[in-house]
Amino acid sequence: MRHSLLKVAALSSAATLTLAACGGSDSDTDATSGGGEGGEGTDVKACLAYDVGGRGDQSFNDSAAKGLDRAKDELKIEAEEVEASQGENDAAREDRLNQLVDAGCTNVIGVGFIYATAMGNAAKANPDVQFAIIDDASEASAGDNVAQLTFAEHEGSFLVGAAAAMKSKSNKVGFIGGMDVPLINKFEAGFEAGAKEVNPDIEVQTKYLAEDGSGFADPAKGQTAAEGMFDKGADVVYHAAGGSGAGVFKAAKAAKKMAIGVDSDQAKTAEADVQDVILTSMVKNVDVAVFDNIKATVDGEKQSGNIVFDLKAGGVDYATTGGKVDDIKDKLEEYKQKIIDGDITVPEK
Amino acid sequence: MSTEAMIDHSVDATPTAARRLPLWAWPVGIFAAIAVLSLVRLITGRNDIASSGTLSAALALAMPIAFAGLGGLWSERSGVINIGLEGMMVLGTWGGAYGALIGGPWAGILMAAFCGAVGGLIHALATVTFGVDHIVSGVAINIVAVGAASFLAARFFGDLDGGSDVQSPPVAQPPKVGIPGIADPLSTIEQKGWFFLSELAALLKALTTGLSALTVIGLALFVLTFYVLWRTPFGLRIRSCGESPTAAESLGVNVYLHKYLAVTISGALAGLGGGFLSMVATNIYRESQVDGRGYIGLAAMIFGNWRPGGLLMGSGLFGFMDALQLRGGGAALHALLLLIALLLLALGLWQIIRRGRTIQGAVAIAVAIAVALIWVVTDSVPGDITPFAPHLTTLLVLAFASQRLRPPKSIGQVYRKGEGH
Repeated sequence: MRHSLLKVAALSSAATLTLAACGGSDSDTDATSGGGEGGEGTDVKACLAYDVGGRGDQSFNDSAAKGLDRAKDELKIEAEEVEASQGENDAAREDRLNQLVDAGCTNVIGVGFIYATAMGNAAKANPDVQFAIIDDASEASAGDNVAQLTFAEHEGSFLVGAAAAMKSKSNKVGFIGGMDVPLINKFEAGFEAGAKEVNPDIEVQTKYLAEDGSGFADPAKGQTAAEGMFDKGADVVYHAAGGSGAGVFKAAKAAKKMAIGVDSDQAKTAEADVQDVILTSMVKNVDVAVFDNIKATVDGEKQSGNIVFDLKAGGVDYATTGGKVDDIKDKLEEYKQKIIDGDITVPEK
Repeated sequence: MSTEAMIDHSVDATPTAARRLPLWAWPVGIFAAIAVLSLVRLITGRNDIASSGTLSAALALAMPIAFAGLGGLWSERSGVINIGLEGMMVLGTWGGAYGALIGGPWAGILMAAFCGAVGGLIHALATVTFGVDHIVSGVAINIVAVGAASFLAARFFGDLDGGSDVQSPPVAQPPKVGIPGIADPLSTIEQKGWFFLSELAALLKALTTGLSALTVIGLALFVLTFYVLWRTPFGLRIRSCGESPTAAESLGVNVYLHKYLAVTISGALAGLGGGFLSMVATNIYRESQVDGRGYIGLAAMIFGNWRPGGLLMGSGLFGFMDALQLRGGGAALHALLLLIALLLLALGLWQIIRRGRTIQGAVAIAVAIAVALIWVVTDSVPGDITPFAPHLTTLLVLAFASQRLRPPKSIGQVYRKGEGH
């Protein structure tokens, strides 16, 4: 048995690697090409490589997809989309980006910081192609032909944090992050700062679901974590956990408490029966960034370096769908103006 | 060769049988666990450590692992190593969601079991008929199942409203069951914060209210598995295939058939675990939602010494740790450090006083003091460790307990009819 256990260990690690490679090629063949009749006005072909979750996650990736759809409609470009798989490595991601280049893409957009290293390498190998990465401004992805599109998530999170504190009756609010990384820490820092701005004594409970990307795709974990917060007295929970957020909304519904969505206006995109528990959403207009990037290429411009979409540029905002923040909208607008004017500086960590 | 195996077996089996706990040890153990948890709560002041919410979540998080482990039990008792549980669970997640979408929750449960059983059947075909190495076949199933589920999801969920290539629309969930009228009085007792009684009430509440029908089915399957494998001739034949297939053959048992049945049942149970994930733990299929639970189920079964009771404890431990870290984070786990210190202290004293093993006992007590010191000087377990804590704990317990394990004798070996003579 000892031998078999060793074998198990060796083979399961081998399996993980194989799986990763497998998943990569699988997604590539899955590629759905849309807008086939494009190419009348332009020869731009924009290709999106999604983060884990892909189109249909009702959140981050869907927001990027919206930008691509708009570009297809308005700019009459060709488009192609591929999805990432759980647990793949940088080499698999790089392969995917290179395959998009081989498929004739003139704009390759990596949706998510997981593409950082892969994009840096692919950009060096293909200097004629315009690359863009969302949510990353690191050295790893930097290059003359790479636009690093980042957002001031902490500023948007500040506003929903303020909204949560104004709506909380128990003076306890919660934050659930998908993965403990600097990007998600920004959401937490902004949320906490916003809540404390309104009520310095408020208690902010924090939980990160996982150490890897699985925390963005596990609604059961999101639900359990949110239940724990509601049981401990929190009455508004903000999630920055992608697909796991569906579980947070379910828990809020069951506990008759409130939740705050992320990235997309989730009072519109979440399942119909939980939309009424969503107080507001921290909207991250990834679609604007994606559309602008494609439009720049169509207009013959070249985007490069770090481009920040902040509150001022309309890159982030809070959502008003459902009318639950109508009564505090004036105060939120006030905070928004203060951040834009620089009267309030929101911490990033 | 076969006679040798038989002799080894009989020598080996006797101490195992003598070591088996009597039936009354179960309630005593559970009461002791409740008392210790209650003590930890009173000392640390962390009320959520054994609240009904935590215990309910623990049960829900333990069930998929328990299903997988139960599947592993059937397969391995018949002599076939089943590392493919993970893949069979993946098939079950898709099957559960698809069945529930087209025919309601009960169809989902059947479909989940069916999809898992298909995976089991493939494993049986490869290992029993073709004599493929069990590990190789299992790993292959894990790889193929991920691809198959991904393809099926894209094919059947991709175009649906609210679905995508990697996610299904919301599906109907199995009904919740419970004993009516019992929740409120139990809640009242739980709220009082009494020593022992409050924890007991919380445990009863978690076990009697708001249970998914599939959880009840799962627990019933544990009882059924124990009965079938250890109390019926059919179960004896399956176990004999795992201990000594040639001996079973000489007594007229159709080894191939019994292995096929056991591995297929194994797949069906793992599939139910997958169905639990997509129908009960949440109400959507989502790619990669199994996330290694099949492997943990296998580990829980090994830790449980290839027996249902031990397996249930192993998955329960994992579920409890997972619930605790998800709901309470590092602070809740911090309270558990005290529990670990107390357990190690008790273990050390027991080693010295009852067994005369001074060195082991001293080491355990020293570690207990070290853990207690860490508990005193820190406020929380670092966030980097908390998501990993359930795996770590299960692994440690596995390593700690593995000295006394006895797997089925012929596990992992290729059996060929007539070659034993």
